[in-house]
Amino acid sequence: MEDFVDSFDRQVDDILYWLTDNAAFLFDAARYALEGLYDGVLWALIAAPFYAVAVVLGLAAWRMIGLVPGIVTALALAACYAMGLWAETMETLALVFAASVIALAISLPVGILAGFFPRLDRALMPTLDLIQTMPPYIYLLPAIALLGYGPATALAATVIVAMPPAIRLTSLGIRETPHEFVELGQASGVTNLQMFFKIRLPFAVPSIMAGINQSLMMAFGMVVIAGIVGSGGLGETIYGAIRTLDISTSINASIAIVVLTMVLDRITQSAARKK
Amino acid sequence: MENAEVLIDCQSVWKVFGDRNAEAIEAITSQGLSKRDVLRDYGCVVGVSDASLQVRRGEIFCIMGLSGSGKSTLIRLLNRLIEPSLGTVLVKGQDISKMDAAALRRTRAEHIGMVFQSVALLPQRNVLENAAFGLEVQGIPRDERNRAAAAALAKVGLSDWTKHYPSELSGGMQQRVGLARALAADPEIILMDEPFSALDPLIRRQLQDEFRQLTKELGKSAVFITHDLDEAIRIGDRIAIMKDGALIQVGTAEDIVMDPADQYVADFVAGISRLHLIKAHSVMVPVADWDGPVDDLPRCDPEADIDALIAQITETSADALAVEEDGRVVGVVSVRNLLLGVRGEAGADPIGAEA
Repeated sequence: MEDFVDSFDRQVDDILYWLTDNAAFLFDAARYALEGLYDGVLWALIAAPFYAVAVVLGLAAWRMIGLVPGIVTALALAACYAMGLWAETMETLALVFAASVIALAISLPVGILAGFFPRLDRALMPTLDLIQTMPPYIYLLPAIALLGYGPATALAATVIVAMPPAIRLTSLGIRETPHEFVELGQASGVTNLQMFFKIRLPFAVPSIMAGINQSLMMAFGMVVIAGIVGSGGLGETIYGAIRTLDISTSINASIAIVVLTMVLDRITQSAARKK
Repeated sequence: MENAEVLIDCQSVWKVFGDRNAEAIEAITSQGLSKRDVLRDYGCVVGVSDASLQVRRGEIFCIMGLSGSGKSTLIRLLNRLIEPSLGTVLVKGQDISKMDAAALRRTRAEHIGMVFQSVALLPQRNVLENAAFGLEVQGIPRDERNRAAAAALAKVGLSDWTKHYPSELSGGMQQRVGLARALAADPEIILMDEPFSALDPLIRRQLQDEFRQLTKELGKSAVFITHDLDEAIRIGDRIAIMKDGALIQVGTAEDIVMDPADQYVADFVAGISRLHLIKAHSVMVPVADWDGPVDDLPRCDPEADIDALIAQITETSADALAVEEDGRVVGVVSVRNLLLGVRGEAGADPIGAEA
């Protein structure tokens, strides 16, 4: 038994070494692509003065939720600036945004397909269960081996963690079109495309929006953990503060994370309800 | 109406549900198995068994049955929402089970409208957009389809509600939108799947009358499913009684009440008021059987119902009425005949289930 375990471990290590040796060009390309996306988003967020970002998010909260939440949002973001954590806050926002965009670009189409094909759904479920039950640190290890220290590793691990809820809830939403509306479509003579866009998708939107919101929250959690691998942003600030027992900085950074998470959570939640 | 064009011709249609339905159908055709045998030997449920019916242009055809009788399955066979296991359904002479997907879509979109018990209004769309849905999927330009939808909504009295959302409407109004949606595409046939079952009795009655009037005005044909015999009698030109997947009697309300096909139908119609159903020609006796002078009797029409005859006889204080057709007395209705008629018995001889 021990022999078997040893040889299994050796196999895994060998595969990882083989990949770093032979597929380096692939992972370098992935790394450039991920970092490029992150840098682009970050550049846009940093180029704007802090009050512009605060006002834009404040306006979004006002439109989606209400006047008071809008004002609170703008003030809370201004507080992040006042704590001297603006650059880190924007780095975290850029990481979450970039990771969510990639995660959704994969999980929404996959979720829609899984909604249509129950077999694909059944095949995906154990994989998604596995991803969601493993401790999230695990994803940092292969990523750091293949992509190196830095935001690319943080992004790759975050994408993996953020995908499952969006896949599950998109598939559920597509699958659970009320039967009478499917019949209405058929009796009205719709084509398959019309059935999807005019009937199934509108009914799935609330579920899909809930999935997007959940993915975003998962991404926030992972981006902070990824501070260990040099993601930059508030996660790395907290990691550094823990190592030097700098309690005040770690509390400030935590507050900034809470502010950012709550703002995006509330805005996307009310977007789901509006539909 | 008997000479009008047949729009839906349903010929010996079966629907068997279950994994082994192919074998079950084979056994039914070769050995004539009953519904119970099929369930026992093949584990299959017979939804519709050997149903034949014809719906003519301008006719309202009611299918009445209790829940589980297969009436909702039968109506879905008419537009192939459910595939028949056996038998043929012709819509305007075309066999719909042989149509390809495109032809079937066209037939459903242009010739057969459908109204559901659940109404099924799309909650994200306002009333006008819902009414225009059928035309929208046919690719009719927005202005044109909105005009047609607005006209259909005007017919059901909802012109003021076009910009509202379904959730803001009462159940009765929602079902009017459902009807307007079916009418907007101007189909010849409308399938009504228990459309008024979920409504309050008063609203239901009002919608029944409006539906009948509107359908007749527009010259549409309708197949109307209901579990309520009163509703079937109120709305239908002809009524089919369905039980255990089979049509056990098809005829006018008067036919069914006066001459039920079996005890099941007889029990069903026992409680139905005859006052507006039974006409003078059904209860009259020949002039020869009336031992008195006919010339002095007040005259009535053979199509006058019992309610009208009772009114006439009590106002004139006569003992009987003479039924006159084309200026000739064809029969006599006495007070006794009227009382028999109220009980559902015609002429002097009681008929019905006991006979």
